[in-house]
Amino acid sequence: MKEYKVIGKSVRRLDAVEKATGTAGFTSDMKLPGMLYGKVLRSPHPHARIVSIDTSEAEKLPGVKAVATHKNTSRELFNTSATMTFTVPPMQPVLDQYIFDNVVRYVGDEVAAVAATSEKIAEAALKLIKVEYELLPTVYDPKEAMTTEAPVIHQCEMKNVPGEVIQIPFGDVEKGFAESDVIVEKEYKLPVVKQAQMETQAAVAQVSLDGKITVWCTTQTPHPTKMILAKLFSVPESKVRVLNPPYIGGGFGVRIGCSAKAEPIAVALSMLAKKPVKVVYSREEDFIASDTRHAGYVSVKLGAKKDGTFHAMHLKATLNGGAYCSFSVETPGVLGCMGLAVYRVPNQFYYGHSAYTNTTPAGAMRGFGNPQAMYAIESTVDMMAEKLGIDPLELRLKNIMQVGDPWVLPYKCGSTGLAECIEKGAKSIGWENRGKLNKPGAKKLRGIGMGVGTHVSNAWPFCGDYDNAYVTIQQDGSVHLASGVPDMGTGTSTTLPQLTAEVVGVSLDRVSMTLADTASTPFDIGSHASRALYAAGTAVVEAARDARRQVLEYAADLFKVAPERLVLEDSVIFPAGQTAGDDCAGSPVCTIGGKERKSITLKELAYDAHQRNKQFIGVGRIVPENAPPWHAHFAEVEVDTELCQVRVLRVAAVHDVGKAIHPVICEGQIEGGVLQGIGYALSEEIKYDDRGRQLENSFHKYMLPTADDVPEIETGLVEAHEPSGPFGAKGVGECGLVPTAPAITNAIYNATGIWFCEIPVTEEKMFRALKEKAGKTV
Amino acid sequence: MSSFVVDKKGIKRYAVTIGVNGSEYTKVIKANTLLVNFLREDLDLTGTKRGCELGDCGCCTVMMDGKPVNSCLVLAMDCDGHEITTAEGIQDGEDLDIVQEKFVEHAAFQCGFCTSGMIVSSRALLNENPNPTDHDVREAIAGNLCRCTGYVNIVAAVLDAAKEL
Repeated sequence: MKEYKVIGKSVRRLDAVEKATGTAGFTSDMKLPGMLYGKVLRSPHPHARIVSIDTSEAEKLPGVKAVATHKNTSRELFNTSATMTFTVPPMQPVLDQYIFDNVVRYVGDEVAAVAATSEKIAEAALKLIKVEYELLPTVYDPKEAMTTEAPVIHQCEMKNVPGEVIQIPFGDVEKGFAESDVIVEKEYKLPVVKQAQMETQAAVAQVSLDGKITVWCTTQTPHPTKMILAKLFSVPESKVRVLNPPYIGGGFGVRIGCSAKAEPIAVALSMLAKKPVKVVYSREEDFIASDTRHAGYVSVKLGAKKDGTFHAMHLKATLNGGAYCSFSVETPGVLGCMGLAVYRVPNQFYYGHSAYTNTTPAGAMRGFGNPQAMYAIESTVDMMAEKLGIDPLELRLKNIMQVGDPWVLPYKCGSTGLAECIEKGAKSIGWENRGKLNKPGAKKLRGIGMGVGTHVSNAWPFCGDYDNAYVTIQQDGSVHLASGVPDMGTGTSTTLPQLTAEVVGVSLDRVSMTLADTASTPFDIGSHASRALYAAGTAVVEAARDARRQVLEYAADLFKVAPERLVLEDSVIFPAGQTAGDDCAGSPVCTIGGKERKSITLKELAYDAHQRNKQFIGVGRIVPENAPPWHAHFAEVEVDTELCQVRVLRVAAVHDVGKAIHPVICEGQIEGGVLQGIGYALSEEIKYDDRGRQLENSFHKYMLPTADDVPEIETGLVEAHEPSGPFGAKGVGECGLVPTAPAITNAIYNATGIWFCEIPVTEEKMFRALKEKAGKTV
Repeated sequence: MSSFVVDKKGIKRYAVTIGVNGSEYTKVIKANTLLVNFLREDLDLTGTKRGCELGDCGCCTVMMDGKPVNSCLVLAMDCDGHEITTAEGIQDGEDLDIVQEKFVEHAAFQCGFCTSGMIVSSRALLNENPNPTDHDVREAIAGNLCRCTGYVNIVAAVLDAAKEL
């Protein structure tokens, strides 16, 4: 096996020193000369028509420079998510919102915005805007939203269902159930949860006098966001520049496309005020007015033969899409595909969709439907194991997908290390101790559970998907990489340069990267779908190969040998079989500057080329494949039956990530995902009151796990080579969240004998369940 | 009491002198100016982040006379005559502080938005307690939310820094 010099090593992250010293640039830190501050007036009602809106008093307030409403801003329908730029034909993107409309559809919906010389003045001006509302009927539950009594939130072919229903047939599911010996069927209820990235939605917009628009913002997808803004404001895309400055304070899917409406509102205000405008959401705005994860209902019907062979599965999802579509068509698609891709089941059927309600729009969040699917499926698999009397681990090993198995996806299952993940994880958690942890009469009950899953390494076939990159050899032989993907913390600003250094043949400190800027990088779909390293990385490898090829061709002329005979290593070029500086007579020599040389540095070569009016510019243009990462999580929990609290003691998380380009970054992605999964299982939830208001709209009420809540997390990497990925790599970003919740709820069952078909398992739910089990009414 | 001026509308503005990262700054501010905004807007020290402005997230943690505080819950006026240390002031001259060095070495961050507050809280802990246990570290940073890392590498970095104090 080839020894790599740069990849596969946990090098110091290239963003480390900036971030450790507080000097890294974020949108919310930006200040431009003459910059104004934008604030947004939001609807206090869940569904209402705006009868009248009077901004005259607000406009008179000294310091106010612009007031924007539906009357003086773009009437172009759009979608804040990037779906409006990459929906795959024949499906059509759902365009269902304006920047401001005369109907508001959830508490927090945008009514107006003010730009003023200070945040305080802008806030004061909002209070002077007079709005008269006519209240409309409301609905909050996706099943109810589809009934005839429910109000129409948007006109749709099927009542309140955005886009289309996703149906995935595979084999003959009815026949499959008829032939099954054992059938388990269950419905699960899932909560609204929030990405809760640390930097809230933010944008700074500057509109120049010649109509060029520059927007610094927190988007995960600068290039698609440029397309959205160009359409929204009817300007050529060439006049819109979108960039990160260059970092983003987390994403987890919440800004694929626009950062909620921060960019459109900042641009609209900047156009009106003719000054740069900064819009930074407060934490409350971030909660109530930027996409959540889809809540809703997922039901699973699983049929198996007596020996445990899965024979039929019916999966159904009804998701709460909230007031606007965002990713409400794609999310049920991924939910179904991922749910059907883990086990080899010859007869399957999936039926899923979202429904509009008068709640905060639901969009992309880490896992994108997959955590919803796998919580339901993995719970059902454990129920099936119990019914069959088979160990849940053995049942999984018997049924998991293998390389080459037919499945519902249009790409191959090209690699799987899942069996190895399961075996390693089981060893790490001590699976053999399962069921032997409790003494009779114990008040604190311990249990062990597991969950498995897969995911994607990019967005195709759910979205359009392609990547480009430039790798340019500078005149001193150092290397510049330009890629349009952001680094929202996932380490792309380190791992993509690692790929570049490895391919070109230079050390990492010779590589520098420009990222996430539409003006200086070629088009890239962006950072989502666990795709940045896998997909953008493939373009980077392609560009680096192209640059290296040009270098070697140029050098071949000097050495008068075929380029294939030349080696480029550690920034030195020399003929193969001869080490740099070697003085073996008769070997090829190159003549440069009148001197004969056995080797030449990239620095000398690049400058020689420069003197002859040439630069090496590598271009990578690729359409990525897709590939499945795999993961097995094991959790040990302790349920305090007196306090009704669940504590996760240990998690073993083993992931098949393909080649780990930077192992510590891979592990960090997994650890962070695990903790978000613990929150999903036990503490995180946004509920709405009967007037459509979020009950959990701050970190004081929405319970994120803190450093005190972290169990021991044992992370393991399995590196099953993925032929389609750069150096064999696959996606990893979202995976840690996927099978965590079911591992925990299955462990809770193991401890208490109670199935929880609704998460999060809060103290209240545990209290009620324990009472019910003891035969008492609450 | 700080001396003040009254503007045409009758609003009082107070002259304060606050020590920040070893330098003294005299500014005229409103009584309701938050320390976090004084640092970020008046001094352009944007290393201190605003994550929630309610004292929940800890992104704005700074040291006030060596003790960690949420700068969104402290009035700048109350810092008159006091010494504030922000993320930018942790560094020891040209060299990184040992806590920063260990955060870099352990990749104890991802997006970096909580990192400033996290490093300030960690440094404040080590100033008080140079031999912290795992539990001490977790308790010291329990008021600093991180959504990216699972805190694993952060705790490791702080414990490792303590070893080299």
